[in-house]
Order: sequence, then structure tokens, then C-alpha cells
Amino acid sequence: MGYGSSRSFSGCGFLRFALIILVVFLALPAMSNGAPLLKVGVLEEPKSLNIWLASDAWSSRVLSEIYQPLFTREPSKLALVPWLAEKDPVYDPANLSYTIYLREAKWSDGTPFTSSDVAFTARLVKEFRVPRFLSNWSFVKEIATPDPRTVIFYLEEPMATFLTRTLTTPIVQEKQWKPIVEYARKKEKSLAALLNQKVDYPVGTGPFRLKEWRQGAYIFLETNPNFFGTGKRIAGRDLGPFIGGIVFKNYGTSDAAILDLKKGSIDIFWWGLQAGYVDDLQKDKNIRIITNEKSGLYYMGFNLRKAPFNDKALRKSVATLIDKDFIVDRILQGFGVKMDTVVPPANRLWCCTEVEKYCEGLNKEQRIKKAFGILSEAGYKWDEPPVDGSGKVVKGKGIRLPDGTPMAAFTILTPPADYDPQRAMVGTMVQEWLREIGMPASAKPMAFGSLTEQVKGRRDFDAFVLGYGKLSLDPDYVRNFFVSANDKPQGWNMSGYNNKEFDRVAEQSVKEMDLEKRRELVMQMQRMVVDDLPYIPLYNPMLLEAVRTDRFTGWVSMVEGVGNTWSFCELKPR
Amino acid sequence: MKGDKEIRHRPHWFEQFLEGWSVFWQNPLGKIGVTLLGIFALMAFSSFIPPLVNPMYHPMTGVDPEIYSSVGPSARHWLGTDFMGRDIFSQLLAGARIAFMVGVSAAFMSIFLGTAFGMIAGYMGGFVDTLLMRLADVIMVLPTLLVVLILASLFGQLNIWTIVLIIALFRWPGVSRVIRSQALTLKQRPFIEAARVAGASHIRIIFRHIMPNVLPLAFLYMTFRVTAAIIIEAALAFLGFGDPGTVSWGMMLQWVWKTGHMFKALYWLLPPGICISLITLSFYMIGRAMDEVLDPRLRREETAR
Repeated sequence: MGYGSSRSFSGCGFLRFALIILVVFLALPAMSNGAPLLKVGVLEEPKSLNIWLASDAWSSRVLSEIYQPLFTREPSKLALVPWLAEKDPVYDPANLSYTIYLREAKWSDGTPFTSSDVAFTARLVKEFRVPRFLSNWSFVKEIATPDPRTVIFYLEEPMATFLTRTLTTPIVQEKQWKPIVEYARKKEKSLAALLNQKVDYPVGTGPFRLKEWRQGAYIFLETNPNFFGTGKRIAGRDLGPFIGGIVFKNYGTSDAAILDLKKGSIDIFWWGLQAGYVDDLQKDKNIRIITNEKSGLYYMGFNLRKAPFNDKALRKSVATLIDKDFIVDRILQGFGVKMDTVVPPANRLWCCTEVEKYCEGLNKEQRIKKAFGILSEAGYKWDEPPVDGSGKVVKGKGIRLPDGTPMAAFTILTPPADYDPQRAMVGTMVQEWLREIGMPASAKPMAFGSLTEQVKGRRDFDAFVLGYGKLSLDPDYVRNFFVSANDKPQGWNMSGYNNKEFDRVAEQSVKEMDLEKRRELVMQMQRMVVDDLPYIPLYNPMLLEAVRTDRFTGWVSMVEGVGNTWSFCELKPR
Repeated sequence: MKGDKEIRHRPHWFEQFLEGWSVFWQNPLGKIGVTLLGIFALMAFSSFIPPLVNPMYHPMTGVDPEIYSSVGPSARHWLGTDFMGRDIFSQLLAGARIAFMVGVSAAFMSIFLGTAFGMIAGYMGGFVDTLLMRLADVIMVLPTLLVVLILASLFGQLNIWTIVLIIALFRWPGVSRVIRSQALTLKQRPFIEAARVAGASHIRIIFRHIMPNVLPLAFLYMTFRVTAAIIIEAALAFLGFGDPGTVSWGMMLQWVWKTGHMFKALYWLLPPGICISLITLSFYMIGRAMDEVLDPRLRREETAR
């Protein structure tokens, strides 16, 4: 009897559990304002809806549909087009000022968007020195708002990145943020107070606004009825949105999301696919695989602040030993391109093609011999050299630095396989290639947070494999990554590269307003970097994305993939 | 008659071993377990052969020069290749070596610690006993896998030997409890009394008189610890926290998962999975059979006679 009753109780428990699951699924919104919802599969929830703190991919995905910049890039030629601004800025070289006329727009709460919101945003970034945006605003001297739809920016000096970086900063609402700013100002650590402020309902000007966030399950953005672009034609594109909203469904693993995509429960899985999934997904006639180039740089970096990587010859030998063809053909399965410089080849205007290609066209034996040559010339010795007396390649042992001390074991930090299996595998393969010549290398995948803390914060590391997936199209990052002023804790110059000549050219490049001249300077900078090798550029992966085609049409491909504001504004239900 | 004499000449321990072995071998679990283990040992030993045949069979760095993606079994690659053209069969052999290394060394270390602490706690009693056993309690309730995961995410991926050491450090308390209870009963036996009266030091009593009596039990527990260590290593590697420089079965499973081949490359997914199950099963079976050897109450009627 007791047994029976306990059985029925557990059965009852199971039923209840099933019911809860069912309710959660049924509760997932399907329609809004009579238009169907786009269901987007993501791997994680946003870390924060506070735009000043949110730098992770998942928060940016949600917030990019809410907060909008003055100018944005159109998808076909990636040219800057006026977005919240009405037309191109007017430059006055005499006063070093840019005048921007704003579009008539409203915030998602119905209040008008005015020039004081723009000025407020700029002043907020400058006052609190918001780390993510400060470098784009520090050179803006003054902001004037002669009328609600005109903003004038006065610059301290000519700045090539003003248009591409500063004017693409998202604008926040003064009404929502003023109380927060006033509260934060009073605190001792005002920046921390600003960043830690919880924002439940961000008010933006974008095509969507937050309706509901059910933690752990989904985020529902409904169409913003006050969106300025609705019914307009911007950059030759007729904007909607024609969908009722977007539901971000949280999966945790790619496998679960891809199974749901095949079943039709989501319309897009907004994350790059591993090549292994492609064949299987292509069999489904309702699923389309979209390939886009990334504006990325995946590279191996060294700590130039300490031995042995402060030696250029050693860095050159490592660059020679790395088999980039192996990385692209095998680890990336062909979905990517080799990189010889720090600007991706797709960025044709700025990419320098005349740089030294260390390992190009060499087989394994030739690579080892060439690296052995570079190192021997620089005074390195071996107990058992990797190339023996008869010129045969053998396994090198006991490598010694030019001063005679044995080379200490060093680690190559990589993100964990869980975060990016490709970079983890690259680290392991580089380890094996370096060991063949006798270098005591070991790859060490590390949780991403601890990795950046160790490399950027404590700056205590030997070498690492990292990547930038979303480089801006403006090449100012070449300056940012290698200029010696950025060699500081949390600074962009992670390698600690210090070259006075480079600094001079870099500073010149950012102030050069003539495109051709600036281009020549940027090329010169790239040649210096590839010669000195603080970073060894490795590859730029291709972005593979999968979308369903049975419910919506009109996906817009762009350099960063089909998940972009243009897509969401132009998608039409079938 | 002559035979009898010879048997008498055999040392006592050998005699005991033969008797135990016959009980062990009569148990079907023991037979299957040992056979399976023998196969895995053979795999581990032969893992050195493929890279000698051709460098493309090196489990970590060797790739087939003509194959750039995962393909099914063929004469050249008996179990097919992984996503970048490495041979799965040679990886499987290398995995057996790692499994033995991790399992046996972690189990040996934890048994060593557990036996030492258990004997000392049981024999000394009082404050030492309380201290050691509370320490054991604290460690026993810590979830090993979780702690290793946290350590791995804090300090970056752990080296395979660090993983082994951590498993050993977390897995001794269970053993020490059993050994302690055994030591407690031994302590009251007349022969220990006698040794003490004869003036033997504590250390001598523990190591000369108590240890030989608890060792068989310790070895029994070792077989169970081996399975735990292998499973923890595989789980860690599968979750992406293994040692990236070693080719273990958990690592193979992680590669098949992370590269998106989970549902389409069964020739790659199944072998490491089955191997993990079988090797842990074999150690478990051996443990069960040994249990019967050491504890006559478990024997069936006919074997008990």
C-alpha cells in the first residue's frame, strides 16, 4: 500500500513537472500586434542591460536593437549613412567643428529625441570616463546644441576616427539617465556606481523595445511603434519592422539550439556554426546556410616585456614554424582565410599586401630548417640541434638562449575549447610545432575572464592566442593595439610593443584627414608590425550562420552576418 | 607425496594468493573483468606502435595528408578520421594509456593517503582520530568534479598530473573510514597487545602488524577508486577542462561534440564512449570478485566449502 501510494505520488510529481514545462513553452509569445514574432536562438542571456557595462556579445545583441547611433553602416558597401542624424555632417575646418542635424524621432516611451540627449550622452562618457567609449570622445572639446535638432561638436584636433567611431556611439535618453548620473556623481566611485546601476527597461530609439525578460527562458522585444525608420527609405532600403517583435530564446549549447532550428522552433541561431554542422543542415530545404566574411583578426601575441619573447629573432622563428595552411584547411575546415597582416584581407582599402610572409609555401622540414637558421644566427644553441650534421631534421632538445641559459618552459594561453574550439586547437598545434624544434611550449586553455585578466590586467604571461571578431572597418585599431601609450593595465597594447618610430607614424595617421596619405601611413604601420611581430596574425574565420526560410524572407547579409538591425527591419513574414 | 612436500615449500603468501585466485577465477564477474582489463592493457601497450608505422598515425599531431575532414572507417583508418584528418584508432589506443595512467595513479595515491590516515586514526584514537576523521568528513562532502571545475576555471586548464593529484586528494576519505574501522578491531586483538608488551614502537606496530592486515581491503577499494578517477577525468575533458596536450577518451568526446559531429559521426562518438564504459565496468567487476575473495561471507555455498 505504502509502496503504491509513493509511486502514485511520484507520478503526480512528474505530471506536475511536465505541466510546468508545457506552460513555459506555451507561454512563449507567438504573435504581437497581429504580426508573427521572429524567434532567435542564442546561447546565453545578456549579462546586463546597462549599455555602459554591457560589452559581451549577448548583451550587445539585445541592446543593438534598442539603442541607436547617429550614423550607421549600410550593408552593401559598408558606407556610413545617417541614422538618427538626418544628413551627412557639415565640417568646418576653421573651427574644427562638425554640425549634425537630427532626424525627427521619438524615444520608445513617446518623448521626443532631441539634441540635448546627444549632448547628454557625450558628456556622460567624458565625465565618467566610460572605458568602452572614452577613446572615441576624449578629443571632443565642446558640444553645442543651438536648437533641439542641431548638435555641433568642437574637436581639440582633427581626428580621422570622429566619423567612424565617435558618431557611431549609441545615444541614451537624458530623461532615463539623468537621475542615475546624479546619484552616481555623489558616490566615491562614480564610474562603478554608474556601471552597476541595474536597468530594467532600457528606453531607446531603435526598432524594438523590451517587453518582457523571463530570466532563464527568453527575452521578448516588441516592435517599437515610435521607431523613426518605420515606413521610411534609408540607404535605399524600405524599413519596417514588418514583424511583431523578436523573442531571444536561451539555449546554452549549440546542439540544443540547432536541434530546435531543425524542428522549426527558432528562425535563426544567432551564433557562428562549427563547420561540422553544415552538411547535415544543408539537407533541410527550409534551412539556408549563410556565409559571411568577418572583420576579424585571430592572432598569436607575445609578452615583449620579458625574455625570451623580447627577442625579435625568436618571434620570427615562431612565425616561421606556424603552419597557417594547416590551421585554415584543417582546423577551420576551409572556412576562413590566412592573415599575413593585422588588417583582414576583406578590408581591401586598408589591408597591406606587401608584407613578409614567414611560413608561406614551406613544408614542415623547410619551416624547421628556416627557423633553425634564424635562431642559430641569433646565437641560440641546442644540446641536440633540430637539424643534425647531415642536414636531416630531427627532434631538437635543450634549446639555450644566446646568453647560454636554457630556455624556460613557457605557456601559450588560449580561450577554452568550450568558448572557441578552434583557438584552443590552434594553441595545441602551435605547442606541438614549437616542441619539434625543442622549445618547451605548452598550450593552456583558460576561462576567458581569467585569460583577459592575466593578459590585460596583470600582464603576467608568455604568449597567447586571441582574436577580435568585430574589428571596426576603420583601421585605427592598428594604432590602438601597438602604440606604446596603450601599454598599461587594461590597455589595448597587450604585447607591450614599444617602438618610437611606430608611435610617431601612428599619431600622424590618426590626425591625417587626407585619405590617400592616411592610407600610406597605415600601410607603413602594418609593415612595421609584421616586421617586429608583437602579434603573429593567423587567420580570419568565416562566419557560418543558419536561418530558416519557411516563415520569413528578406535576410540582409552583412560583414558581421545576417543578424543585424537591417535584417530585423526588413524581414517580412511569408 | 612429493607434490605435497613441494606445496609446503611454497611461501605462505603465495599459497594464500593461489587460494584467493581460484575463488576469484570461479566468479564469472572476475573472469570477465580480468579479460576486459587484459584487452585494455594490450591497447595501452600497443598505443606506441601506430606512430612508428607512419607519422600520420600520431594521435595528436599526425594528419592524413589527403584527408581534410572527418571520414568513416576504411582500410587506412580503421575507425575513420576526426575533423582534421587524424586517425581515430590511434587516438583510441593512446586514450587507453591515459585512462590507465590516470586511473591507477590517482587510485594508488588516494589509497596510500586513505590507508595511512585510516590506520593512524584507528590505532591512535582520541584527539588524532577526531581530527583526522573530521577532516575526512569535510573532504568527503565536497563534490570532486565541481571543485576541479572551479579550480580549472580559476587557474586555466590543469595539467593531467594536477588532475590526478586533485582526484587523489579528494578521494581518500572513503577509504580511510573503512581502514580505520578495520584498525579499530585489530587494535584489540591479542597479537597487537603482545607486540606492545614486547616493546614495539607505535610506528612498528602500525606498519608491521596492522598494515599487512588492512592491505587486502585497501586494494579492494583501489579498484573502485580507479573507476571514479577515470570517470572524473573523462567528465572534465568532455566539459572542456581536460589537459589539451593529452589525447584521452574524454578529450575525443569533447572534440566530436564541439566540432558538431555528435549526431553524424557515430564511428567517432561511440568508440571512446564504449571504452570508458567498459574499462570502468571491468574494474568494477574485478572489485566485486575481489570482495568475494576477501569476505568469505559473500561466497556462495560451494565456493565457501
